[in-house]
Amino acid sequence: MHLEKGKISNFQLSVLIIGFIFGASVIIAPGQGAGHDAWIAIALGLIEGLLIAWIFTALARHFKGKTLVEINSLVYGKFLGNFISILFIWYLFHLGALVLNNYSRFLKLELYPATPKILTLILIMLVCASSVRRGIEVLARCSLILVTLTVFVVIFDTLLVAPHMYLHNLLPVLEVPIGKLLWNSHATATFPFGDAVAFLMVLAFVNKPEKSRSAVFKGIVIAGLVLIIVAVRNAAVLGQMAAIYTYPSYITARVIDVGDVLTRVEVLVAVDLITMGFFKISVAYYGTVLGLAQVFNLRSYRPIILPIGILMVILALTNVSNTAEMFDFANKGYPIYTIPFQIAIPLITLLLAKLRKLPQTGGEQA
Amino acid sequence: MAAGQFSSAVSLSKNLEENLRILREALGSSNDVIIRDMKISSDSNVDTAVIYIDGLVDRGLLNHDILRPLMFNLQLIKDNLSHNHTSLIDYIKSSVLTVGQITVVQDIDIVISKVLTGHIAILAEGVTRALLIDAKGWETRRIEEPKNELSVRGSKESFTETLRTNTALLRRRIRDPRLTFESLQIGERSKTDVSIAYVKGITPESLIEEINQRLQRIDTDSILDVSYIEQFIEDSPSSLFPTVGSSERPDVVAARILEGRAAILLDGSPVALVVPFLFIEGFQNPDDYYARPFFATLIRWVRLLGYLLSIYLPGIFVSLKTFHPELFPTQLLISVAAAREGLPLPVVLEALLMLLLFEILREAGLRMPRSLGQAVSIVGALVIGQAAVSAGLVGAPMVIVIATTAIASFLVIPYAETGTLYRFIMTIAGGLLGLLGIALVSIEILSHLASLRSLGVAYLSPVTPLNIRGLRDTFIRAPLWAMDNRPASLDSPDTRRQSPGQMPRPPKTSFRQGDNQ
Amino acid sequence: MKRKHRLTIYLFILLVIIPVFISGCWDSIELNKLSIISGLGWDIDADTGQVTLTFQSIIPNEIKGAAGSNGSGGQRRGDPLHTIQLDSSTGSSAYDALNRYSQHSSRRTFYQHTQVYVFGHSAAQQGIYPFLDSISRNPINRPNVLMAVAEKNASDTLSVEDGMENIQAIGMAAEIKLSAEYSKYPSITFLEFANRLISKTTAPLAPMIGIIEQTAPKGDRVKKARINGTAVFNGDRMIGQLNEDESRGLLWAINKIKKGFLVIPGANLEIVSAKSIIVPELQGDKIMITIAIDEESNLLEYDGHREISSALLQDLEKDQAQEIESQVMAAVEKSRALNADVFGFGEAVHRRYKKEWPDLKARWEEIYPNIEVVVKVKTHVNEIGEIKKTMIKD
Repeated sequence: MHLEKGKISNFQLSVLIIGFIFGASVIIAPGQGAGHDAWIAIALGLIEGLLIAWIFTALARHFKGKTLVEINSLVYGKFLGNFISILFIWYLFHLGALVLNNYSRFLKLELYPATPKILTLILIMLVCASSVRRGIEVLARCSLILVTLTVFVVIFDTLLVAPHMYLHNLLPVLEVPIGKLLWNSHATATFPFGDAVAFLMVLAFVNKPEKSRSAVFKGIVIAGLVLIIVAVRNAAVLGQMAAIYTYPSYITARVIDVGDVLTRVEVLVAVDLITMGFFKISVAYYGTVLGLAQVFNLRSYRPIILPIGILMVILALTNVSNTAEMFDFANKGYPIYTIPFQIAIPLITLLLAKLRKLPQTGGEQA
Repeated sequence: MAAGQFSSAVSLSKNLEENLRILREALGSSNDVIIRDMKISSDSNVDTAVIYIDGLVDRGLLNHDILRPLMFNLQLIKDNLSHNHTSLIDYIKSSVLTVGQITVVQDIDIVISKVLTGHIAILAEGVTRALLIDAKGWETRRIEEPKNELSVRGSKESFTETLRTNTALLRRRIRDPRLTFESLQIGERSKTDVSIAYVKGITPESLIEEINQRLQRIDTDSILDVSYIEQFIEDSPSSLFPTVGSSERPDVVAARILEGRAAILLDGSPVALVVPFLFIEGFQNPDDYYARPFFATLIRWVRLLGYLLSIYLPGIFVSLKTFHPELFPTQLLISVAAAREGLPLPVVLEALLMLLLFEILREAGLRMPRSLGQAVSIVGALVIGQAAVSAGLVGAPMVIVIATTAIASFLVIPYAETGTLYRFIMTIAGGLLGLLGIALVSIEILSHLASLRSLGVAYLSPVTPLNIRGLRDTFIRAPLWAMDNRPASLDSPDTRRQSPGQMPRPPKTSFRQGDNQ
Repeated sequence: MKRKHRLTIYLFILLVIIPVFISGCWDSIELNKLSIISGLGWDIDADTGQVTLTFQSIIPNEIKGAAGSNGSGGQRRGDPLHTIQLDSSTGSSAYDALNRYSQHSSRRTFYQHTQVYVFGHSAAQQGIYPFLDSISRNPINRPNVLMAVAEKNASDTLSVEDGMENIQAIGMAAEIKLSAEYSKYPSITFLEFANRLISKTTAPLAPMIGIIEQTAPKGDRVKKARINGTAVFNGDRMIGQLNEDESRGLLWAINKIKKGFLVIPGANLEIVSAKSIIVPELQGDKIMITIAIDEESNLLEYDGHREISSALLQDLEKDQAQEIESQVMAAVEKSRALNADVFGFGEAVHRRYKKEWPDLKARWEEIYPNIEVVVKVKTHVNEIGEIKKTMIKD
């Protein structure tokens, strides 16, 4: 395991997961399709997300200290294993590009209408690249400070906007048709919770692998609770406009106006986005780069960091032609597209590993 | 081995003349090199020489405790003389000279280097060994108030340029027998004495080994100041943040040593280095520990927020004015926009200009002769600021922003220079890309800080990697009776420093008669 | 990493970053090249259908001048009419007019600080949705901007000077908020308007601003803008308005009473607090709404000759309750006449009876006038002030 020498603690793992799940949730508000029942969709999605997490943490525990690429090689043999790993790496890479895309569109709309997206994309990518280069340990250390900051901002926002919350906006409960509710909750399960499957490339570096499952669960649950609170808050403040606004959390923050002085607090929401977006992209980026290095047996993943970054930027620029398409894909395409990666691959690999009674005792080093 | 060596390890010969010739050659013909011939023993037949460098040695000791006994105890010497002159040296050492530190050496090189550091050497004819007496007694500054690290309640002593005085200052505060000073000499030509100070059993062995290794790796002409050492041994020379701490106060250094750190003292430097150094230490101040905990915590926060302010304020102001005016509250925007009317420079340049101006004033104020310094810098700053606004070159809000930043920048001394640099970077980032620029630069700085280590310890601990116990002395200053353990980040083998549960309480009963209720 | 590679990477990064420095910044704004719009007005010419937008923008210099010169005896505010500048632009649609304006203005328009959107009377009657849609799609819109309808023309309303505030639109916004604070007319933000609009049954509202003439102390006639009604919309078209009593009744019902005064025969009371709940009940096909109001007040003025005892207070409470009920019923009557659900009864039913709602919603226009409304008021007089008895002998 000489590609990554760092180790992270379980606590840091939880925090990383929280940051990762917050990722782009400011932008693609989870559960928005369910209107004011979004919070129910998130809660259900949370449960499904935990199930997905159960599967991949089981796989990680089975093969302690190995990343998904190594696991695949063991279970499927070098050739097929690498092929499957490449698919998974594509998923991570695509995820990074998707978040980059979300990020730059939001910035372009709200804050920087005239600046070409490619500039913001490249700058964000460079910062992520620099952190990825420093290794997972550094990412984990940054996570605590940034996630704490984000949580504070959310609490602060929510408290300040409390006078404008009308809880009756959440009534009637369960108005959305069941089919739509279930679809939206599955959508939430895959984005953002299910994306945590990316951590199959990170779980290998935890210093106490036995406790990593509970760490992952803790992270997902805490993030989920916060998202639920945010959904309730947005619906309570914005009423039915919550389903219409493109970026409800941002607009909610705009409502805050204390004594005419404490206004324009939405800038903090933008900061939240920037920091948590940085996380999600960095972790996906890291997984991609590390995975590729393992598949191709490179000595270090550093040389490919920039090239992959550039490719990610290109994909982010080109993969959708307009914002409507972006939301369409997020709401309709993504929930299906991710099933093979989030569920199928880990599940099948796990079952196969159990059938073939891997790993053999005595442990192997990749 | 790095310490400068002469070409060969030559032993003293029996011939005094020969020895003296070599010495004269090595030490040169400067007129502060004194070689005093004498004859001792009542038969006046033993040639001896006393060699020293005038100005480095204590003349009183030389005259009174060396020359006098040698010259007055001739009879005794003769009586004890055997035909083997070598015992002469032993006898002189053990019974004649009334001085504290004497060593016996055989190498000419050592004689030469020791004489150069203030020792007195005594050589005798027919003897291949020499006596070295530590007689350091040069003019030195007395112990004064610290110039840069002022404390309201604490002691007012600060280190001086003499190593021995400094080690004594530490000894007086840590009277534990396990306080150890390991000595080295670094610098080919300067041969400066370095001391590593630590308490055995509290400081981890691995730390001391690592420090030793790094010090011994230094191969340079001279070490003139302790900051040279810092630059040779630090973990991240390319980082803007210091990973080695320093202090000119013995109480601070003693406290740090007792936490499990090690100090590096250099002869000639009134500042001691302390390693490992964590980021949070820059915000800690000796007065924090002498004041009451709530107030200390408040002041810590003031420092922290003030420092952040001093880095971010100009950048944020510039970025809001240039890219995001919608983020100002309406009335503020109107005032700011009003002030902006008719100003020639773009906001970024205005800010950078003012920052530059401030740095010029500050640096000039430092270097100016004392008599001029105060008046010129204060009045100059005020007048320039006011005049610039009246002339319509800069806006009044900008002056306020920069002035606040300037004052706030002095809150945290260890990071003052770093703060200045990052302030400029933030202003440029804010001016080029608004809030996104500032946010990205901040993330980059954070990421950089997270990757730093100071001699093996993560720079940002105990905040991250998180250590709850260690947080007692970071954002808050827990009361002294609650700080039972040494900082956990430092990996000390002996973590307990006091017994728990010592919160003071009023006595259960009053000891005054008639008060018992 | 090999040295050569490192160099190429750095070079590459530089090549990317340098254009940022050279070509300047796309988004950077010079504050003194901004025209900060404080108020936006929308009028439609009844004959031609042309849209005229009125832009009230701030001239910061004037404010600076006023603020800077307070050495000479007290405050001298900049002449209020000179702190703002009015411009108008005409086009075939809202966006057309907007575009034309930004073309011939010497400064970049900046809408993020707009305080109020004013709609001309005729424009409001024709339907304001095109304006709303384009405004809400643009990120410049803030949910807190206040909506208002002008009695006649929006342009007139935005040009009336305001003596107190240095920016007229800020003054107007402050007045709207104040009237809501004193429970006279509602203050409606864009967000609230939009939510009412989305709900197909609730009627959007907006305060109405008229222009009156007053005689100033110096004797000359001065125009002032005053709020004098609540405009009621059906969808995005204005269909009528509520007068002072009806507006007050509306506020009682929708729980928006804050402070204010209540006048009953022989006494004057100050409202301390009030809470109201709308409880819907569905009986078969019949809807019954109970509005329960709970109010507390203090006695301010008593014209009568009775002793101030708790019996008197109880009588006053009864009178209060009657007055409140009559105000609410006045509002109900007007809303029935306009067939506009200004109270949000529909949504109340929706929240409670989610199964039946889709059907009711479809027929809401027929159902609404037949809704039975019962008002239950509980009042309480708390304080009686500094004197306990009347000073006039009977």
